[in-house]
Amino acid sequence: MEEQSYRLITAYFEKTISDEGLTQLREWIEESPANLAQFSETIQILEASKAYTAQPLNQQKSWAGIQQYINQPLKAKNTRILRYKWLAAAAILLAVCTTTLAWYKHMLNAFTSIEYAEVKSVNGRHTKVYLPDSSVVYLSGGSKIKFAKGFDGKTRNVQLNGEAFFDVVHQAKPFIVNSGKISTVVLGTSFNVKAYSSQQKVTVTVNSGKVGVLATVNGKRKLVKYLTPDEQIEINTLNGLYAFGQTDAHAVSGWINNDLSFYNTALKDIAQSIEHHYGVHIDFTDPEQGHVKLTTKFDNVSLKQVMQTLSELSGLAYTQKGNQFFFTNTNQKGGSIMR
Amino acid sequence: MYLQLSDEELVGLLKVDDHLALENLFNRYYKSLCQLSAVYTKDFEIAEEVVANMFMKLWDTRNDLNLQNVKGYLSVSIRNASINQLQRKKLVVEPIDEVAHQLSNIADELTPLNIITGRESYNRILKLIDTLPTSQREVLLMSHVDNLSKHEIAAILDISVRTVETTLYQSVKKLRLLLKDSYNSAASN
Repeated sequence: MEEQSYRLITAYFEKTISDEGLTQLREWIEESPANLAQFSETIQILEASKAYTAQPLNQQKSWAGIQQYINQPLKAKNTRILRYKWLAAAAILLAVCTTTLAWYKHMLNAFTSIEYAEVKSVNGRHTKVYLPDSSVVYLSGGSKIKFAKGFDGKTRNVQLNGEAFFDVVHQAKPFIVNSGKISTVVLGTSFNVKAYSSQQKVTVTVNSGKVGVLATVNGKRKLVKYLTPDEQIEINTLNGLYAFGQTDAHAVSGWINNDLSFYNTALKDIAQSIEHHYGVHIDFTDPEQGHVKLTTKFDNVSLKQVMQTLSELSGLAYTQKGNQFFFTNTNQKGGSIMR
Repeated sequence: MYLQLSDEELVGLLKVDDHLALENLFNRYYKSLCQLSAVYTKDFEIAEEVVANMFMKLWDTRNDLNLQNVKGYLSVSIRNASINQLQRKKLVVEPIDEVAHQLSNIADELTPLNIITGRESYNRILKLIDTLPTSQREVLLMSHVDNLSKHEIAAILDISVRTVETTLYQSVKKLRLLLKDSYNSAASN
């Protein structure tokens, strides 16, 4: 967000800004006095740094010097010596350049040097991740987290795309899970966050302690709700609507022990969990089929049993092709022309 | 007719000792190369000298040149020559207490009257620019060199366009911080 605002201001300064960008910039400036201050300070800095690059004054004189140089007849004796000097100079120059270049690269690395660790868990796999503060994260299939190695900042920041169960060690430094525009802030608790960017829905469930759920609206973070144990909030990130209530937090985080529980959940959402958990693809030959709501529980059962149970509960048939499953109406078989 | 020729065609003409071709290249790039050189030499007179010397060298080596990208070649050569110039003059190493001294001077000049006059805040920014980390300063100033795009800056510095952008934003951010600090220390004095 911050970089985006600098980008817009720079484009404005260079007069390369698009109409759309201009509108965006106006809205952003009107949002807060701090933004206006950032805008005017940035413009001032850009103007001043432009003034730093002056215009040459002696172009004619320089050219006259060059002209004189290129018009003089070559002196055979001197050229040879000159050429050697040139070579020596070139060699030194090369050495200098290489070292300065290496140094520049080093400098550049030094200050973009917050090192991040990224952990990915492929579909069908769970990963247990130990964070620098010795908090534990169980990462579900098809999920990834990213965090600064060392947690040196003022907060312990983690980016999450997917589902994960966090068991956070208590510290004065807030622990923040960022998933798109929704952030979950805690000091030390255990909770489950489900935020696959493909689903436009973030679900936070608390097992122990107190958790603050924040949403970024127009660049500002606002508290949505504090959650206490066995409370759950579901936020639709497309329209910003949310619902919260009591739930069995233990069942929600059961997936870390291969126990999957679904309470009145749409079959398409169940299918997505199964995809991540078992590493398969599940398609509906008719999207309508995915809307049926089911309540069921799978404790460490095989994929085949899962599919059979779902098929019985939903009244749908399924066809298996390798690790691809198709839900169909009972009198049909399924397949895909894509594979 | 020379105006319509590409840079590469002009360099080709240098091989048949065409002075006009050199003059056209000179007119095309003198200004922006001087600006680029000044980023390092911090002195426009020296910058003009460096650029003039480079055109003489270009003439001397005209028979060995086979350039795909003349503008890129000239820019990199000027950057190298300028850094080289600094090393020779030993201007590049500024002791840290020197920088700290400069910074305290900046704070000294901050009377309320100075703060409200725009000219003064300009000058303060100009001084603060020289206290930026080298690569931030370099990218910030290079972004104001005439006709030098982000892509060309990235090529000259051998970094990605993305890094150029990020470094630029970081430099502005850093300058805002430095400015705030200098205001604050002025207020507390």
